[in-house]
Amino acid sequence: MKYINLVLKSARRSKRRTALTMLSVAIAVFLFASLQAVLDGFDAVAAASSSTRVVTIRSTSMIFPMPTSHVEVIKSTAGVQDVTWANWFGGIYKDPKNFFGQFAIDPESYLRMYPEVMLTPEEKKAFLEDRTGCIVGDGLAKKYGWKLGDRIVLQPGIPQYGSQDYPFTIRGIYRAGSSAVDNQSMMFHWKYADERSTQKGLIGWLVSQVSNPDQAAQVAQAIDQKFANSPYETKTETEKAFSASFASMLGNLNVLLGSVALAVVITTLFVAGNTMAMSVRERTTEIAVMRTLGFPSGVIFALIVGEGLVVAVLGGVIGAGLARLVINPEILQMSGGFIPAFGVNNWNVVVGLGLSAMIGVLAALLPAIMASRLKVVDALRRVA
Amino acid sequence: MALIELRDVSKSYKRGAEEIVVLDRVSITVPEGDFLGLMGPSGSGKSTLLNLLAGIDRPLRGSVRVGDTEISSLSERALAGWRARHIGFIFQLYNLIPVLSAFENVELPLLLTNLTKAQRRDHVMTALGIVGLSDRAQHYPRQLSGGQEQRVAIARAIVTDPTLLLADEPTGDLDAKSGSEVLVLLQRLNQEFKKTIVMVTHDPHAAERATHLLHLEKGSLVEQTGTVNA
Repeated sequence: MKYINLVLKSARRSKRRTALTMLSVAIAVFLFASLQAVLDGFDAVAAASSSTRVVTIRSTSMIFPMPTSHVEVIKSTAGVQDVTWANWFGGIYKDPKNFFGQFAIDPESYLRMYPEVMLTPEEKKAFLEDRTGCIVGDGLAKKYGWKLGDRIVLQPGIPQYGSQDYPFTIRGIYRAGSSAVDNQSMMFHWKYADERSTQKGLIGWLVSQVSNPDQAAQVAQAIDQKFANSPYETKTETEKAFSASFASMLGNLNVLLGSVALAVVITTLFVAGNTMAMSVRERTTEIAVMRTLGFPSGVIFALIVGEGLVVAVLGGVIGAGLARLVINPEILQMSGGFIPAFGVNNWNVVVGLGLSAMIGVLAALLPAIMASRLKVVDALRRVA
Repeated sequence: MALIELRDVSKSYKRGAEEIVVLDRVSITVPEGDFLGLMGPSGSGKSTLLNLLAGIDRPLRGSVRVGDTEISSLSERALAGWRARHIGFIFQLYNLIPVLSAFENVELPLLLTNLTKAQRRDHVMTALGIVGLSDRAQHYPRQLSGGQEQRVAIARAIVTDPTLLLADEPTGDLDAKSGSEVLVLLQRLNQEFKKTIVMVTHDPHAAERATHLLHLEKGSLVEQTGTVNA
């Protein structure tokens, strides 16, 4: 502890240089923690997805619909307990900027199969009984200040749903029981959209409840076999795999974001290392004087590594603190957009701080070794 | 009683293929409580001799004994510890740490001891009192004159109450008045506090303060003067 003053004073020697180094570490940790939080968010969605539900889409792409007749065929497949379906609606609420997920669902079967969409019995009843009723996630309701009974109007965004506005009454505000359900979405009766659709009887995807999760793969295969060589061939996979493949549509996120984070950290390491080396080189005489006073090389080494550590960890605290403040679900929801609710958690902060400590130590390592091996006489002679 | 005994000490450097002899079989004995002046032209080996006594350089041959310790055979780590306990070094260019106050500069060698913060403070204030700079304790080197900086450096050198004070051209960078003040201070440390001092200088006025003088030329002792100002 008695050396801490020495470490702090050395770090403050060139305030601008120290501040810039700290800032570069702060940016690296901010990016790292934020990207880690994004990956954690996608992982959480996949992890929370049910393994007893399988999702069926058109084999070509999920943007192509299937006929409702698929429902009965799938229901008759061995191992399937229940089936529900949904369509992507893509409507506009006042302005295209107000983007959120809107799904036309078969209400009874959907709510039966998705207990994570949590409604009170009164809300559920009111929703089921009102053909133009809808339910919205509590995050979405909070964002737009909606409450039960409010009337909202969506303008159709896909030609298939005509050009007339769709008025809705909010009958329920659901809470998400797991990360697999987004609380930023709206759901309404599939029939309401279908009756005004120019292509009736089409559905976007089907979800089947399987009785035994161990047989989910076989059931999925059996479903796809039923539609093989038909005009509407299907691709069925578990909800977990479906979530993962949905995320992978954005590319291999883990590799992509991991590479970005790694590049930032390595760049920062070089920047900090160069700064530390420059700072130590400027202090050659001082280090030689300290050695003359009797400071062992080990203490000199520790002082320089300590200095690197202090500067980097302070930068890390700023970066992680900022990430924690900015990257949180509430702020991200306020900013709009259809993204999973994720935030920088304690673990991301701890990893970020650990990373900053690692940057500090590694950046100071070489200069510290050089300083501790300094030939005192040579260093003093250079000045004299 | 002899505090320093150098026996047949030689030192040379290699510059390319050429070997430059800096000290050639030098033998010196310095009694405890002496104030020895080392004189000689540039490149005569006087600073090298001082560095050998300080344990920051090693002889090629010969023995360097300070007190009971043969320092030429100590390891680097042991030498550092020995320096911290026994040597006070005063540089020509003061070499204070610019980001530390006068107090913190003087406290620096005490960080290597087991003294408490309060004890360190007492020692530092005593040392600054001896050099007459108690009122400048919180000043930074840039806020002090050259003479004051050198006095702070002397306080740093004496704060651990070392066995031996080594001064390398302590007045070389000072004006006459400040130089004289520093020399008076060194003389006082020698006479009043019984400190053994070895001072390298090529200033005859500075040399007059020493009790003994040695002249080095081309790495060898050429003349040994008796008591100068005893």
